[in-house]
Amino acid sequence: MILTLEEPQRSRWESLNENGFYRLVRHCADRVFYGGDGTSCDVEMGIGAVLAIFSTPGTFAAVALAVKYGTVFHFLRNEAHFNAYVASFPDEYFFAVLSMTIAGAVAVWKWDSLLPDRRDHANLAHLPILGGRILVANLLALVILVVIVAVDVNAGSAILFPLIACWTAPTIGYIVVFFFTHAVAMMLAAVFGFVAVLAILGILMASLPYRVFRKCSVYVRTTLLILFVALLMTSFSEGGKIETIHSAVAWTNFPPPVWFAALCQWLRGIDNAPFPALSLAAVLGTVAVLVIATGAYALSYRRCFLRSAETMVILPAGGGAVAAHVLRALDGVLLRGPVQRGGFRFVIKTLFRSETHALTWIGFTAVGVMIASNDLLLAGSKTAASSHVPSAVVLGLPLILTYFLMFGLRVAFEIPGPLRANWTFRLGVDPGTRECAALARRVMIAFEVPLLAVSLVLYAHFWGWEIAIVHTLLLAAMAGLLIETLLLGFRKIPFTCTAPPFKQTTSVAVILDVLGLFGFSAAVPALERHAFVDPLRSATGIALMLLMWWVCLYGTRKNQIEPERRLIFEDALPPVLEVLDLTFRK
Amino acid sequence: MVALEARHLTKCYYSTVAAVSDLSFCLQEGEVLGFVGPNGSGKSTTVKMLTGLLEPTHGQVVSRGARIEQDLVHYRERLGYVPEEADLYPFLSGREYLELVGTLRSLPRQSLERKIDAMLDLFSLSAHRHSAIGSYSKGMRQRVLLIAALLHDPALLILDEPLSGLDVTSAMVVKNLIKKLGEQGKAILYCSHVLEVVEKVCGTVIVLQKGRAIAYGPPSELMKTAGQASLEHAFAHLVEGGDSAQTARDIASVMSAA
Repeated sequence: MILTLEEPQRSRWESLNENGFYRLVRHCADRVFYGGDGTSCDVEMGIGAVLAIFSTPGTFAAVALAVKYGTVFHFLRNEAHFNAYVASFPDEYFFAVLSMTIAGAVAVWKWDSLLPDRRDHANLAHLPILGGRILVANLLALVILVVIVAVDVNAGSAILFPLIACWTAPTIGYIVVFFFTHAVAMMLAAVFGFVAVLAILGILMASLPYRVFRKCSVYVRTTLLILFVALLMTSFSEGGKIETIHSAVAWTNFPPPVWFAALCQWLRGIDNAPFPALSLAAVLGTVAVLVIATGAYALSYRRCFLRSAETMVILPAGGGAVAAHVLRALDGVLLRGPVQRGGFRFVIKTLFRSETHALTWIGFTAVGVMIASNDLLLAGSKTAASSHVPSAVVLGLPLILTYFLMFGLRVAFEIPGPLRANWTFRLGVDPGTRECAALARRVMIAFEVPLLAVSLVLYAHFWGWEIAIVHTLLLAAMAGLLIETLLLGFRKIPFTCTAPPFKQTTSVAVILDVLGLFGFSAAVPALERHAFVDPLRSATGIALMLLMWWVCLYGTRKNQIEPERRLIFEDALPPVLEVLDLTFRK
Repeated sequence: MVALEARHLTKCYYSTVAAVSDLSFCLQEGEVLGFVGPNGSGKSTTVKMLTGLLEPTHGQVVSRGARIEQDLVHYRERLGYVPEEADLYPFLSGREYLELVGTLRSLPRQSLERKIDAMLDLFSLSAHRHSAIGSYSKGMRQRVLLIAALLHDPALLILDEPLSGLDVTSAMVVKNLIKKLGEQGKAILYCSHVLEVVEKVCGTVIVLQKGRAIAYGPPSELMKTAGQASLEHAFAHLVEGGDSAQTARDIASVMSAA
């Protein structure tokens, strides 16, 4: 059934639409959501789908906590007087981290479209609108966006978590208080996460020349993402520790999510020494970032937007003489033929200059660095460099980095650049070329070689040259096989093909990738560690394993038919129905 | 009556580099004024100052007896502007973009929708009115910009390379339209590199070089003064562009060199 608006409502709606300021606010909200240069691969999803994705982690986390709060488990744990308010403190910390991380990540994702840019200036500045109206309209659109994100990220958990946690609650009021305190604290955490990123963006835009801002933008975004991942990881390790906060410790000793978890507890009336100070930090912190972000936004608007017509858009480019020398040297040793030589320069420059691509591979590598650091810290004194042979954890560190670096590069290769520029390759490259995988392989090798060199030097410094050389050789072999595996069936010039469609095998591939990480960075180093102690058995095992891997790759590649090797510029699923040519005229 | 007047306009970047220097001219109602010059001569800077997007370092832009900064909003209500680059929002459809511009110009809803549909039809964009601008060709984007500049029936039009990317038919339509609008009494500043069109469409021409007006008058007079048969040749004679035939020969010899 199609609902029609009543006449008075319709006219009100229409008059609202005719209102210039309202239309401007709506437009600003649209440009924040759909923004981007329109030439790269912005994800084409509706607002509903995006909001559903944002709310999913909180919802699942709330459901997963049923184990902790279920009555059967209380009975089994002999917890007769279970106080959900007190028991939920570490979980509130987790939800605060989640809320802050997702909201902050949204701000990082929308980094380029949060503030009005040159396109807005070109389209709006010459219209009869007061300059301040664009400023206010965009600010209003941002406020709306922040509120929507804060509500959406916490919607699932705000409803489900109180119900699950207070299942055995004595009164409805108990649940209502739980709901409101959770919702207020977590939404405030989300606002804090989003606005903190906005403040950083505004400060950078207001203080740096545009050219410098664009250049450092990708590094700032990556750093922020790493910080958010690090914050997320604390929720798994710090939850237990937070439960034991009792003494009055300064609020500066805790990361912001603890402030919001404490605020939640304080609003519930739980009497704990540090809670009032931490709650105050949460409120004042949010107010502070709001004030800083608004000030920085106004300054950047004045400095960048209003002066758009005055400043030239000269974006950083040019690798300099050193890069040119390096590339010329690579032409002699690594690159063969025009496709490899031209393509290599194109791929390297895209990987470093395109924000989307740089964020992808740097982001993956950063996760690798985080996992490696975490492993190293957890291993603690066991991994002391003074040990005769490095532990499996230490041996696994460069493998983890290799895995994430190669994986990040492979994912980045699949992200299309401006497809309109593809004609350069469509015209210039022979469609029958088999150089695509070779090109991608060389790029990956170019990224891996410095890692191998650093690994060799570090292991030699701590454990001597013998161990360093053996380990580096194994690392090189593993990296080589990983590269070959990742490039199986690769027949695109990186960034020039449309984004791959979702295939049914994608989910399986993701599971295999996770298992692959375990095998690559945990199982093999463990075997290698044994090999240093008992060379004959373990070394043979490793050699056999690598040989089997290589044979599998060789067999798979051998079975590929000619059309599966041809260069493509459009990645499409095979047709559901295939028309067979039974006339045999071809 | 004078629709727009530039009085001793000067724009310096970084305090010292003068992009435009002491430029003065008048644009009368019903006049089509051609604005030509080589790349980097200060055309775009002047256009930005005339639209109020850029503040002059010295001098002033006057419209209907008042400096435009005094009431920029009112000035822009009478102004239709086609910028040099068709940098539009790729996520909006052509129709949505025009609706946005019309609403921001406070045009009544119903007449706006009628006008948009009619204009889209006349500019052969009806079939693509609901497609995202991101998928438009350069010519289609340019037509959207032209419609956006004309929607509110402006008294003053500033057109910066309006024929850029247009096909022959659309370009002919726009050329005739400019003439027609001039006859109707609208003041038009026409900025272009295509001198054949400037010669046919404009009643007066300003030639700009290194930020200064080096010639100002009707195309026929410029040609006569320069002793050339076409505006293109007169232009080449006036500006310090070097010997174009010799440059072409040099390029050809570089191409054939080993």
